[in-house]
Amino acid sequence: MNLTPASDVACHECDLLVSVPALEPRQHAHCPRCNHLLTAKRPDAQPKLLSYSVTALIFLGLANAFPFLTLNARGLEQEVTLLGSVAVLFTEDHRMLAAIVFASIAIIPAMLLGFVAYTSLSIQLRRELPGVRTCLRWAIALAPWNMAEIFLIGILISFIKIVDLADVTLGLSFWAYTLFTLGVVLITLNFDRREMWSQLDRVRAGAVGASNV
Amino acid sequence: MSERTATARGVQGCPVCTKVVPLGTHQCPRCGAHAHPPHRGKSVWSPSIQRTWAWLITSVLLYLPANFLPIMYTSRLGAPRGSTILGGVVTLWHHGSYPIATIIFVASVLVPVGKILILVWLCLSCQRRSVDSIQRKTEFYRITELVGRWSMVDVFVVGVLVALIQFGALMSIVPGPAALAFAGMVVTTMLAAASFDPRLLWTHKES
Repeated sequence: MNLTPASDVACHECDLLVSVPALEPRQHAHCPRCNHLLTAKRPDAQPKLLSYSVTALIFLGLANAFPFLTLNARGLEQEVTLLGSVAVLFTEDHRMLAAIVFASIAIIPAMLLGFVAYTSLSIQLRRELPGVRTCLRWAIALAPWNMAEIFLIGILISFIKIVDLADVTLGLSFWAYTLFTLGVVLITLNFDRREMWSQLDRVRAGAVGASNV
Repeated sequence: MSERTATARGVQGCPVCTKVVPLGTHQCPRCGAHAHPPHRGKSVWSPSIQRTWAWLITSVLLYLPANFLPIMYTSRLGAPRGSTILGGVVTLWHHGSYPIATIIFVASVLVPVGKILILVWLCLSCQRRSVDSIQRKTEFYRITELVGRWSMVDVFVVGVLVALIQFGALMSIVPGPAALAFAGMVVTTMLAAASFDPRLLWTHKES
């Protein structure tokens, strides 16, 4: 059995053992056999992740505070909020559907942002905050189930479907939700799991080194 | 070639934190995730392949009601009328909304069917120990994982329409049984793609 240096990565898609050199910002490492993206070094990833996730969480809060959309059809006016629209689904005996929709457009992305913010905070403070490793694991597990940006496209398609029936006015909450979605997308672009874990390892090693002095 | 794989060198990569750990380590010491090397037994029914098939069969079973039952009911001054996914695409096409009709058709019909067919193909070729165009197959797998979530767009469209069009007896929209079946189909195909271990495509290249 060989001892492998920390720079080694076993490709997740073809199992090739690749020795990855220290990357410069903006450099990506791809597997030489199957071209899978092994790891990437984004410039200033940690401060970006922290600020984007906190900002996006604030926008998600704001998205619940104002009307989301207003509909005008032949003199009838209907105002919907984000939570109100899920409540409609929920009350009409479509609880399972309401749960899937609400989880994928709000709860999962919010949890993802919270876990990313906490992990980045821990890295920025150079202190291993309680439960930070569990948080990072959850962030990685939840990432594929976030569908905020898909919901935004869904809203736009719905507008086009009802444009003949009614006038739709976009509320403040719609724009808040759009900015929240932008934050989620920026997070997924700056998040690299290998980088996150090695940063946490560095934080732990730093703490051990400091206590020994 | 064989000397260069992690398994041949007696190690495996953690699927969650990418740490390289010795073979036989079941729990990653860094993140606690369950780590396992690509399956190498005699049987072609590795756990990953079994799980992928199970999710695929479930998704096909859900896809049938998702297409044949109404995805929503529209009532305008009276009796509710159901519309299916394909019916909605045809209506949009007749109204001249070609781009939207195309988006819905691609997201609700082409992508799910394509995903299921690609995963069936990948499972079968692993089970036949095929070594042909592995690179191409890996790319198809990557695309399948990437586009899977986008099929949910149709469920969201129904959700938004139901929330917006609530004018009582005058006009209202309620979701049909296909909406939940379709959402379930999207979730199960995503689970099928996540269950599939693409490293299995490469194991027979080396031997």
